[in-house]
Amino acid sequence: MSDKPRRITLEEWDLRYEQLQRAGVRQPDYGGLLSRHLEDGDQRLLKLRYDNSAAALRLWNFLLTEEDRLHDARAGGKKLIGTMKDLGTVPVMAYSFDNVVAFYPDGAWWIPCVMELSAGLLSIADSLGIDESFCPVRAMLGAFITGAHFPVPDRLICSVGATCDDFSAIAQRLSSLGHPILWWEIPHRRKPDSNEAAVNLPGGFPAPKCQVEFVKSELTRVKTALEESASEQLDEKKLSAGIKEANQVRRYLAELRHLAFTAELCPLPALEMLIAEMLAIHFCSDRRETIGVLKELLGEVQARVQAGVGILDADAAKIFWVNPVADLQVMNLLEDCGGRICGTEYLFTHALDAIPQDLPPLEALARMALADPMVGSSTDRAERICADIRKLGSEAVLISRIPGASHCALEGEVISEIVQEKFDIPVLEIEVPPVTDSMRPTVRTRLEALVETVKARRKR
Amino acid sequence: MKTIIYTCPYVPAEWIAAHGLQPSRIIPDAAEAEGPLGRAEGVCPYVQGFINEVITDKQAGGVVITTVCDQMRRAFDILVRRSDVPVFLMNVPNTWQNVGVQKLYIDELKRLGRFLIGLGGKPPLDDTLTEIMLGYDTARTSILAAGGYLPAREYAETIAAFGRDGPGEEFTDITKHELRIEGVPLAIVGGPLMRQDFDVLDIAEQAGGRIVLNATETGERGMCAPFDRRLLRDEPLMELASAYFGGIQDASRRPNSGLYKWLKSKLVGRGVRGIIFHRYLWCDMWHAELRRLKDWTDLPVLDIDTTGDNETRRHRTANRIHAFLETL
Repeated sequence: MSDKPRRITLEEWDLRYEQLQRAGVRQPDYGGLLSRHLEDGDQRLLKLRYDNSAAALRLWNFLLTEEDRLHDARAGGKKLIGTMKDLGTVPVMAYSFDNVVAFYPDGAWWIPCVMELSAGLLSIADSLGIDESFCPVRAMLGAFITGAHFPVPDRLICSVGATCDDFSAIAQRLSSLGHPILWWEIPHRRKPDSNEAAVNLPGGFPAPKCQVEFVKSELTRVKTALEESASEQLDEKKLSAGIKEANQVRRYLAELRHLAFTAELCPLPALEMLIAEMLAIHFCSDRRETIGVLKELLGEVQARVQAGVGILDADAAKIFWVNPVADLQVMNLLEDCGGRICGTEYLFTHALDAIPQDLPPLEALARMALADPMVGSSTDRAERICADIRKLGSEAVLISRIPGASHCALEGEVISEIVQEKFDIPVLEIEVPPVTDSMRPTVRTRLEALVETVKARRKR
Repeated sequence: MKTIIYTCPYVPAEWIAAHGLQPSRIIPDAAEAEGPLGRAEGVCPYVQGFINEVITDKQAGGVVITTVCDQMRRAFDILVRRSDVPVFLMNVPNTWQNVGVQKLYIDELKRLGRFLIGLGGKPPLDDTLTEIMLGYDTARTSILAAGGYLPAREYAETIAAFGRDGPGEEFTDITKHELRIEGVPLAIVGGPLMRQDFDVLDIAEQAGGRIVLNATETGERGMCAPFDRRLLRDEPLMELASAYFGGIQDASRRPNSGLYKWLKSKLVGRGVRGIIFHRYLWCDMWHAELRRLKDWTDLPVLDIDTTGDNETRRHRTANRIHAFLETL
C-alpha cells in the first residue's frame, strides 16, 4: 500500500513521483510524470485532484498515453478498428484477433474537457452543422477532421437502432464526410411475451430468444468484416479465449467496485473509479495492460480496506451516480462537497457484467449486447439502479444529464419516479457540460444541498 | 370498432385495419406548457405533443409507437406509466440493407398483430388484407396525383385526413381540381409537422411560393411506395412490408443515402427552385441533415427551426420565408 491515502494536485504528484522513484517503484514504459501530459494541451489536469497511489499513477499514465499506443499499433502492422456506440461488445470480439486493436472514437467526447476546449473540436463540429444542441460526443467529428487525437481507423463499425439519436446522427454525418461505416442493428430490448422462448441476459433481464438470435446474426456480419480487415479467421476457440480475458477485466472491476462502494471508508476516489470502469469498454487499446493496471489498483484498494484507511470522511454521503460526466472535475466536486460514490450506472453496465462462458461465444456476446442499458427501456435502467441501491445502501441518486443527449430528456423523470417509488431517498438531476467552470457555483450548491439532505435524514 | 392511434409512417394502417380495428394516424397539436408531460426541457416538441395527445385522448383503444427515433422510443416509457390505454412499441430497424432486418420488420408486424388481437382484433385473412391494401393504394394514388393541383395546406390536410380516417370516397375524385397554383416552386423537407405548423405552407404560398414537394414525414415522403398488385395478391403481408419498410425514406435510416436519392429524383422532376428545411428543436436526426443537405444541393435552403408553439416564432418564420422568396 502507498502512504496515507489522500487526494493530491498535479503539482503534488510531481513531488510524489520523485518519492516513488527514489523508493524504487517500477514504472511501465508509458510511465513518468503526470504533469508531462500538460505538454499535450491537457490543461484540465491542473484542476483535478488525484489519488496518491502508485497504482493510480499507472492508471492515469495508461489513460493519457492511449494515442501513442494506437500509433505504435499501426506502425507495428496491426489493424485499427473504430468501434462506435455499443460500448463494450465489439471490442471483446476485436481483441480476440491477433493483429487488431479496437478503440472508441466516441471517447473524444472527453477531449473538450481534458483540453479545456482548446482543441477546437466543438467549433469544427459546429462548422459541420452539429452544434451545441447535440451531445458533447460531437467532438468526435472534429477529431476525425484534425486527425490529431487518434489515428483514423482502418474500419469503422457502429451500432444503430436502439441507440441515442445524437450519436446515430453524428455518425451518419461522419459517414457523409467520407468515412464509410459498417452499421449493425441492435433492436430495442423488450420483455418476452408470455408464450415466447426467453433467455436471461447478463445483468438479470430476460429477452426473447429471437432477439438474441437476431443480434447474433448481426454480430456475425461484424465478425466477417473484422476477419476481412485482419486477414485472419476468428474461430470459436479464439473468441472464447477473448471472452475469458474480458471477463478477467470484469472480475477485477467487480471486486474494485464492491470495495470502493461498500468499504466503511472510501478507499479510492470517484474519478479514478470512473476511469477504471471505463477501461472495460475497449481496454484503453491494450487488454493485457488493462488487466495489469486493474490488478494493481485492486491490490491497493484491498490493502487500504484491510488497513481501515480511506480518502474521505467516514460520514460521506453515499451517492449513486447515473450517467458519465462530460467534465471529470465534477467527480472531484462531489467529494469536495462531502459525498462519495456508492453505486454507478455510467451507461455501460453490460461491459461490467460477466459474459457467459458456458454458451457458444457469439451467442454470449449477443446476450451481452442486448443487456446494454441504452438498448432497453428507461424503466429497466431504473430497475437495475434500484437493485444496486438495495445491495449497496446508497442514500441518494444523482442523475447527471448529458447536454443535448436525446435519452436524457425523458429518462431522468422515469428513473427518478421509480427510485422514489421504491426507496425513500432523494434524487437530484444536474447537467454537466464539458467544462463546468462558469456554472461551478451552481453545481456545487446543488451537490452540497444533496449531501446536506442525506446527512440530515440520517438524524430522523 | 376500437381506434388504434399512431404517428410513425412505418406503421402500416392496412395491417391494423385488416385486424378489424380502425387505424388513425394522429398529427398532434403543440403541447401546452402546462401539459401532462410536465418538465419538457430537451424534449422534441413533436414528441411532447404526441405524449400529451395520447394522455388526453379518451377515444383510443390502443397506441402504437415505434423505435425510429430515440425520444419517441422513450415516450413509450412515459406512456405506459401515465396512460391507461395499452401501448405497443414496435421495433423498426434503422438499417435496411439485409434480409435479417427486413425479416425483423415483418416479425414485428406479426407481433403487432398479436397485440391487436389482444385488444379484440381478429386474425387477418390474406383476402381481407389484400382488399384493404387495394383500397388504401387506390386512395394514395389519387391523393398523390392531386398533389400538383391543390394548395399546399389542402394537400397536406388531405394526406392527414387519409392517415386519420383511412380511404373513403372523398379521395376518389380528388384529381378533378384543375387549379394550378402559381409561384416559385419550393420543396419543404423535414420530419413531421404538427397541426399548427401547417401554417408554414400557407406562409410560403402567400409569400409567392408554390410548394410542389411536401417531403415532410406528414407529407408525401411519409407515404409508402405503391403496391405491386401482382405480388400483393400472392403474399400481401410481404408486399405490405416491402412498400413500407423499403419504400419510405427517412433521415433515421443508416445509411440514409436512400433519402437523398429519393429527394434528387423529386427535386429535379418537379423543378424545385428552393428548399424550406423544417425541423423541431431537439430533433437530432433532421438537424444533423441540414448542413449536409446544403452541401449536397445547389438549391438555396432555408432553415426553419421551431418549438412549434408561439406567435413570435410564427412571425419570425413568416419573415424568414418572405425574405427567402425575395431572394429567389
